[in-house]
Amino acid sequence: MKDNDQVHWAMVIDLQKCVGCDTCTVSCKAENRTPPGVTYNVVTEVEMGAFPHITRVNQPRPCMQCDNPPCAQVCPVKATYKMENGIVAVDADRCIGCRYCMVSCPYGARYFDFGQDYGQEMAGYNHLTTPEYGVNRGIRKKGKTPAGTVRKCHFCLHRLQRGEEPACVEICPGDARYFGNLTDPASVVARLAASIRAMVLKEELGTHPRVIYLK
Amino acid sequence: MSVAKTGPGSPGITLGSDFRSTYATLLILMAAGAYAIGARVLGGLNVTGLTSITPWGVWVVFYIFFVGLSAGAFLLSTLIYVFGMHRFEKIGKEALLVSLISMVVALCFILLDLGRMDRFIYALWFGNATSVLAWEVRFYMLYILLLAVELFYAMRPDLVRLRGEASLRGRLAAALTRNRDNLSPAALERDHRVMRVLGALGIPLAILGVHGGTGTLFAVVKAQPYWNSALFPVLFVVSALVSGTALLMVLHIFRCRRQGRKLDLDLLRGMGALLLGFLALDLMLEFYEYLIGAYRLEAAEWATLTSIFAGRYAWSFWLIQIGLGAIIPVIILARGSRNSAGNLFLAALLVLAGIMAVRFHIVLPPLALPQLPGLPWGHYGPTWVEWVSSLGLMAMGMLLYVAGTNFLPVDGTAEDERSGNNG
Repeated sequence: MKDNDQVHWAMVIDLQKCVGCDTCTVSCKAENRTPPGVTYNVVTEVEMGAFPHITRVNQPRPCMQCDNPPCAQVCPVKATYKMENGIVAVDADRCIGCRYCMVSCPYGARYFDFGQDYGQEMAGYNHLTTPEYGVNRGIRKKGKTPAGTVRKCHFCLHRLQRGEEPACVEICPGDARYFGNLTDPASVVARLAASIRAMVLKEELGTHPRVIYLK
Repeated sequence: MSVAKTGPGSPGITLGSDFRSTYATLLILMAAGAYAIGARVLGGLNVTGLTSITPWGVWVVFYIFFVGLSAGAFLLSTLIYVFGMHRFEKIGKEALLVSLISMVVALCFILLDLGRMDRFIYALWFGNATSVLAWEVRFYMLYILLLAVELFYAMRPDLVRLRGEASLRGRLAAALTRNRDNLSPAALERDHRVMRVLGALGIPLAILGVHGGTGTLFAVVKAQPYWNSALFPVLFVVSALVSGTALLMVLHIFRCRRQGRKLDLDLLRGMGALLLGFLALDLMLEFYEYLIGAYRLEAAEWATLTSIFAGRYAWSFWLIQIGLGAIIPVIILARGSRNSAGNLFLAALLVLAGIMAVRFHIVLPPLALPQLPGLPWGHYGPTWVEWVSSLGLMAMGMLLYVAGTNFLPVDGTAEDERSGNNG
């Protein structure tokens, strides 16, 4: 019975619906109040073909929340680990900032918090931090955790805990993102993941990403 | 305990050899380094040129460089203490000392590189069985301990002989050998046994644990195809032998010149021959590594190799790593017994520069590439803080070496002659 209760979060991104507006990136920055240089989500734009037969693919890139996460494999202190709900978490209070996980991530999804802030251009930026992983850290100060540690997308775990979708999924104007429980075969994500259009990035590395793209 | 102050039984160092200018230079460099390290401690990694695209920079480069020097110098010492190559006996203790100091310098570099220096002890307190780095940290600790104990036993007879000397060196020797001043043949025999065992334990530790392990740290990263090769750990060990031998030659010749002592050319030529052999093997492995990497035509690896052979790193690859660091030393070393000490010094120094370039070309080129098409490229350039702190740490290592060789009996002594007579 326990297996039926199991939640395994997954995200499906429809590349045909993505218009490359970067709203997900902006909403992620606003939701997680990430400092300069830290962007949990980006949208890459790759031009394909040669003029005049040219096309552009917009590809949002959150953390893939791999089932075989290379980052968790190499972390010397188990600060990064796979949660039972499928999310690859970072324990910012344990991370020593060696950045081995960053060179090991095949998706470039990890960012180092160099301790910078938007205090200059945004009054009150430092007064509040997002309770990532449900940990309320209060104000952002120089040298205070998470500064000096590695950060990444966590599927907005703090929002999931109160029954909301990740910010990027909720905001997407083109409805290109779907979010749900992959272990439930009736869920939208499970059905879309079974689609013939479904693919994952760098499948050959055996990381088993939980972010699935529809070509 | 009777103490012989002169004659063949006493350690051959003359205190007061002129190292004043060396000390002064090193202290100035260390002061500058301390200033840079202060800036780094206060400013965090923000003061470096590192980014999230290129998260590792010169500190990691120097960390693997010094781990390699340490492993190489130690493995050279095992030729004497484990494999009985008494030809190199004179340099055995110095090799252990250099190995110990290099390892300390390497750990200082990696400490400086941690985003949270305050949590360095977590690396020992917490662990992860699948993390090569977690294993490495423990191997480093064991290795340092082993080096210190082995060095102590190698020096013990001379330390005991030095006890009576009315100098700082004598007092240091007395403090180190409290309750351990037995010089009977049985005790000396026990010392030799301890050293053989420690040396033998140290070989797998240095090869698999310390430097092979450091290569493994890179080799397991499948996200970086350029590192992800089973030859990498082997290449690390061989290049460690190259750089460790070269460093010992450079330091030994420098110190003997400064102390006005006669250089043992036979010893140096022997080391030169070893260096040539190690270097040839290293170049062969490197050739295969590049050839097979390029032949795969895998996009990321191809881009990395292109940046090394014909891109941003072409100048340092062809000029330093290949030209000055390999071709010229091979030409010099191949002259064998016709080489003067000066030639050997030059060749070894060039080899060191070459291996340093090798370390740069291992760490930096692949980290400039975006992991996915459309992500930004890295444009890492080290800041003054990174350079000056690195110089300071290297000066610290050199100071430890000069002081260590001045205050500890690392040079050829009666002990060597005893084994020489026996052998």
